[in-house]
Amino acid sequence: MEAHAAATVLHRDGTELLATARLSDRRVAWLFVCTGLALFCVMGLAGLAMRLSQAEVFTLSPSWFYRLMTLHGAGMLVGALLAMMGALWFVLRTTVPLHVGRMLASYLAIVGGAVLVVIAVLLGGFAAGWTFLWPLPFDSFGAWRPWAGDTFLVGMLLVGAGFFVFCLDLLMQTTAAYGGLQRALGISYLRNRDDSPPPPAAIAAMVVSIEGLLASAAGTTIVVALIGHAIDSGLELDALWAKNLTYFFGHSVANLIIYLAAGAVYVMLPGYTGRPWKTTKPIVVAWLFTLLFVATAYSHHLYMDFVQPEWAQGFSSIASFGAALPPAVVTIFTGVVLVWGSRYRWTLASTLLYLGFMGWAIGGTGAVIDSLIPINFKFHNTLWVPAHFHTYLLMGVIFWAFALFVRLLEESAGQTAREGVSAFALGALLVGGYGFVGAWYVSGALGIPRRWAVHPEGTAGYSLAASIFVIVFALGVLVLLLECLRLARVASVYRWDRVPASRAALPAVRDGEPLLTTGFQFAAVSAAAIVFLGSFAPSITDATLDSVRYHHLQHAAQFLVGLLVGAAFASTPAVFARIRRHPNVGVALVVAAPAVMLLVMLPSIYESMEGNDWVHLLYHLGMTALGVVTGLAAGTLGLVTGRLVLVLSIGMALMYAAGVTGG
Amino acid sequence: MLRYGEPQVAIAVVFGVLAVTIAVATLVIAVHAKEDVPYDDVSRTGYRLRRPWLAFLCGLGVVAVGFSFFLLPYASGGGDTRTVKVSGGQFYWTIDPAVLPAHREVRFDVTSVDVNHGFGVYDPKGRLIGSVQAMPGYTNELELTFDDTGEYRIRCFEYCGLSHHNMVASFRVEER
Repeated sequence: MEAHAAATVLHRDGTELLATARLSDRRVAWLFVCTGLALFCVMGLAGLAMRLSQAEVFTLSPSWFYRLMTLHGAGMLVGALLAMMGALWFVLRTTVPLHVGRMLASYLAIVGGAVLVVIAVLLGGFAAGWTFLWPLPFDSFGAWRPWAGDTFLVGMLLVGAGFFVFCLDLLMQTTAAYGGLQRALGISYLRNRDDSPPPPAAIAAMVVSIEGLLASAAGTTIVVALIGHAIDSGLELDALWAKNLTYFFGHSVANLIIYLAAGAVYVMLPGYTGRPWKTTKPIVVAWLFTLLFVATAYSHHLYMDFVQPEWAQGFSSIASFGAALPPAVVTIFTGVVLVWGSRYRWTLASTLLYLGFMGWAIGGTGAVIDSLIPINFKFHNTLWVPAHFHTYLLMGVIFWAFALFVRLLEESAGQTAREGVSAFALGALLVGGYGFVGAWYVSGALGIPRRWAVHPEGTAGYSLAASIFVIVFALGVLVLLLECLRLARVASVYRWDRVPASRAALPAVRDGEPLLTTGFQFAAVSAAAIVFLGSFAPSITDATLDSVRYHHLQHAAQFLVGLLVGAAFASTPAVFARIRRHPNVGVALVVAAPAVMLLVMLPSIYESMEGNDWVHLLYHLGMTALGVVTGLAAGTLGLVTGRLVLVLSIGMALMYAAGVTGG
Repeated sequence: MLRYGEPQVAIAVVFGVLAVTIAVATLVIAVHAKEDVPYDDVSRTGYRLRRPWLAFLCGLGVVAVGFSFFLLPYASGGGDTRTVKVSGGQFYWTIDPAVLPAHREVRFDVTSVDVNHGFGVYDPKGRLIGSVQAMPGYTNELELTFDDTGEYRIRCFEYCGLSHHNMVASFRVEER
């Protein structure tokens, strides 16, 4: 009977996702996907309210419009992120022993951060936009209270920390499962040194985790600097630096949502085609290029900041176009090859999955067009921008999130959604969704600026048309959810275990390695630590006191001394044998210690100590102590993740020194 | 009133054609997805097509990005340029001078006294010419030559607070 049911909801050669999922896997997937989709629905209603106000159907005050705009942006980002984190985690856990506790810690941090954002916006009136561009959070013209800005920033810090923990676990466990960076990224396979490469989802996870750690480190740096300003108003930031970090963080996270989704799609699609999505050399090459391009394309957000170095603008233009090649030539193309002539099993879930590719392709095309600098000159910050990213996020990622949600229900119920209902829901989603973003593309071509509570005179008709399409889309979502409710009732008849949960043990992983593995590495790290000890010299301290940037650079050097000492200490056999058993403590400390290091780098703290050389020295030793803690903690994370954390934490200190200009 | 600029219309049409092409391709593939074709046949054909597809996209990228580098809006400096000081603040613009000559290159030195703003320029017919950011602590130089006389409108192109949408201004271009 179960085989028959599987054939009903999947391709005859497809495998149920539930069949290989343990109970914990299922619970985590439901938690993340349901939370993400619930946030999507609520934030979608906020978006509809904004469009109706722009259409002059009713009037939201500017205060409420921009509050909703801030909430909508941050909430949608968090919602889509949670849904896709859960999706990739769920499909990957059959081959990689991802840690449930860390995933839940990540969830609590992100949801906790989102709650703080809601409090800041709804109770405190915060309305600086989810991009919180310096110095707007502190220049509200009395529109929001200072505590609201502080609460929002702490909320975003928590969201970043949660994503950081998720990426740490993904990287640690995937490299441990596949035996190092090169094997896990497929590089060994590419060089003909590995006959059994990781599955595509694992390679996607590697790229997402590395990019995610980079983005979270940049995000933590800018948010802590902003919190620093909130504590010590004398602390000033360089506006161009702040913009670079903000967009590096925001662009990367928004992009990574798509790549998290792509990783899940690699596992979901074969269920309907009966053809496995295998790792090939083009897939490996595509993901390596993605690793490069996602990290370098963000500067297109600063095309109209003409003071940004022209080489960065040019490289970003190349990277932005280049970033489209891996999906166009490999992921979407291979998807087509898998689908063509496969006797594709059309269900509500599989159609959503299939249509998500179209949203990704059309939205990506709109993005690539806008990434050409002369075109961006005409379209920058017009409604063309939300048009293209809504196309690939709403019509791509959200379609995929619903596809997973519906598939899990269909598998649990042993039956598909009803055809007529599915056709109605899909029709409404397509007409409503593309009508909605289409109105924005046209408005963008007309030159209507984005993020305007009240649009220029004579253009309300575009918003009215868009609002009608949003209502049609919402109707589609409603019908889809009602059908999901019916499937859930059927599933509950089976007590949700029509497909029994897998009792398979977690995949085995190889033992972690210390950060330093050779005598030469110990010697090099020791030598570097001795060199940077020079940063304690009184003459260096005296020379840097007149410049905040140089003084913070000195702090960074002192932190680096601790980092190197901690890493060396953590790599000694006796210490490594003890600390390797406590990776959770390590994860907590590598999140907290670098953030604390930045947070205490406040002139109002250290300037009061400068009158007393000994107290000042103690402060500098504190920097080193935080470095030692970070280095030791990194030692618990394995060679690849630990070393990356070392680089990122000193990178954060250097970035901070570069951008904090006054005190 | 806003009006569509010619480049914007052309770009939107190109995008529209590409979007419709993708939608049609999606439909065609969906129709063929129902068939039963041996995977070896499909993959052989697919992988044979992938190389020319990659070559086409790479060629398109080189041409499009390469050509775009000749049309960068960034100020080149030099020449007989009239300088205009532009400063954005919550929620106003100061433009000095506010009357500019036609047919002569004008360089806008754009900055901000508080938060980030965007200097979006619309011609007298309501068509968006382009925009540049106004950033505190920095001056972005935008060079433009105006052929049409009349009133040019400025709208803020970077969210700057609750009266962002009211941050409008104008300057005049006259024959001299």
